[in-house]
Amino acid sequence: MDAVLRLAYEPVRGFIETVGAMVLLARRTMFASVTPPFNYGPELVDQFLFALRLGWFPMILASLAFTYGPAGIEVGDFLKLVGAMDRLGSLFVIIVMRELAPLICAIVIAGVAGTAMTADLGARKIREELDALMVLGVDPVKSLVVPRFLSLMLLTPLFTIYALLFGTLGGVLVTVSNGAQVGPFFSDFFAQATTVEFQAMFVKAVIYGGVIAIVCCYMGLTASGGAEGVGRAVNRAVVLAFLAIGSVDYVFTQTVLATHPALNTPR
Amino acid sequence: MNVVASLRSFGIASLFCWRVLLKVLNGRVLKFIGETVRQAGILITGSAIIVLGLVFIFGLQCGIEGAYGAKSVGATSAAGAITALCDLREIIPYAFGYMMAAKVGTGFVAEIGSMRISDEIDALEVMGLDSIVYLGATRLLGTWLVLPFLYMAAVGLGYIASYLAVVVQLGQVSPGGYLQLFWEFQNPPDFLFAGIKVMVTATFIVLVCIYYGYHVTGGPVGVGRATAQSMVANILGIHLIGMVGTQIFWGGNAHAPIGG
Repeated sequence: MDAVLRLAYEPVRGFIETVGAMVLLARRTMFASVTPPFNYGPELVDQFLFALRLGWFPMILASLAFTYGPAGIEVGDFLKLVGAMDRLGSLFVIIVMRELAPLICAIVIAGVAGTAMTADLGARKIREELDALMVLGVDPVKSLVVPRFLSLMLLTPLFTIYALLFGTLGGVLVTVSNGAQVGPFFSDFFAQATTVEFQAMFVKAVIYGGVIAIVCCYMGLTASGGAEGVGRAVNRAVVLAFLAIGSVDYVFTQTVLATHPALNTPR
Repeated sequence: MNVVASLRSFGIASLFCWRVLLKVLNGRVLKFIGETVRQAGILITGSAIIVLGLVFIFGLQCGIEGAYGAKSVGATSAAGAITALCDLREIIPYAFGYMMAAKVGTGFVAEIGSMRISDEIDALEVMGLDSIVYLGATRLLGTWLVLPFLYMAAVGLGYIASYLAVVVQLGQVSPGGYLQLFWEFQNPPDFLFAGIKVMVTATFIVLVCIYYGYHVTGGPVGVGRATAQSMVANILGIHLIGMVGTQIFWGGNAHAPIGG
C-alpha cells in the first residue's frame, strides 16, 4: 500500500514542483521585463521575426482547415438540414472568434515556435553557454527569456487576427459551396459579434503567448542529460504547453461567458 | 530553387516512410515481436494518460461551447446534439492527434535521434540487424496495436467530459434530455469514420517522427532541432488529414436524424 501510494505520489509531486518553478520563472521574467535597463530590444525583434517566419504558413493552413472542417462542414450540413444556412454567420462568431482562432494560434505557436525556442535554449544550456553568460555577468532570464516572452505575447494576438480572417474565409467557402448567399453570412456575423468577445479573444491570445513562452523557456533552461536531453526537453515542453493551453482555455472561456451574459443572447 | 529542394526532401521522406510501412505490411517486423510489444507497452504506460488528459480537457471545452452555443440560438436543450457532433467527429481526433504528436511523436524523434548521433544505429547495421525494421517498423506496429483501444478510451472519456461540463457543471439540461439527443446524433458509421481519421493521423505522425529521428545530424543540438521540426510537419499533417477526412466522410451528408 505504501509503495503504491509513493508510486502515485512521486509523479504528482514532480509535476507540482515543475509548475511551481515555472511560476517563479514567470515572476522573474515579468519583473525583469519592467526594470531598466531595457536592452533586450534587438533580441525581441529577432525572436519575433523568427517565430513569424516559422509560424505563418502552418497558422494559415490550420485555421483554414479547422474552420472549413469542424466549424464549416459539420455546422453547415446541420444548418442546411434545418434550412437555416444564413445562421452560419452568427455561429461562426461563437466558433471562430470565441474558441478556434486563439486556440489554433496557441497550438501552432506552441508546436512550431515554442519547440524551436526550447531546442535553441536547450542547446545553449547543454553547451554551457548559459553558464558562460552568467560568468560574464549577463542574466539569462533578462537577455534570453524576456525577449521570447514578450515576442510571443505580441505574436499570438497578431496571429489571432489572421486566424480570424482566414477562419472567416473558411466560413465563406462553406457558405458558397452550399449554394447560399454570402451577404446574410456577414450581416449575421457582424450582428452577433460584440466588442467584449473581440477583447476577450485578444486577452486570451496574450495569456496563451505568455504561458507558452514560459513553459518552453523553462524546459529549455533546465535541459540536461547529454545527447538525448534537448530532445527530451522539447518533448516535455510541447506536452506541458498543450495541457496548459487546454486548461487556460477551459477556465478563461468559462469565466468570460459566465461574467458577460450579453454574449449568450441571440441577435 | 527552394521549392525544388523541399519537393526533393518530401520525396525522400515519402520513400522512407513507404519502406517502413512495407516492412510492417510484409511481416518482416514479426521477427522482432518482442520489441513491438515492448513499444506498445511503453506507449500504454508512458503516454496513454497524457493523450487521454488532453482529450478530456477538449471534451470539457466542447461541452462548455456547445452549451453556450445552443443557448445563444435559443435552443438550450439541444446542447447534446452539438456535443455529439463536436466530440466524436472533430475534437477527439484533433486532440488525439495533437497529443500523439507532442508526447509520442517527439519522444520517438528524441529517442531515435540520440541513437543516431551516438552511432547506435550504425552499430545495429554492423551487427546485421535491419535498423529500419528494429527501430521503425516495431514502433509503427506497436502503435497500431494500441491505437484502437486508446481511441475507444478517448471517445468514452471525451463523452464523459462533455456530460460533466453540460449537465453536472452548467446544469442547463436534464441528464435524460441531454443523453437522448446526444445518442440520437451519432451512429456506428460515425464512430468508424472518426476512428479511421485517428488511425491515419497517428500513422502519419509516427512515420514522420521516425523519419526525423532517423535522419538527425549535428550532435545533441541536432536532436533538439529535429524534434522541433517534426512538430511543424505534424501540425500541417494533422490539420490536412482532419480537413480531408471530414470532407470525405461527412461533406454534404450530416448523418443527422433530422431533415429529409
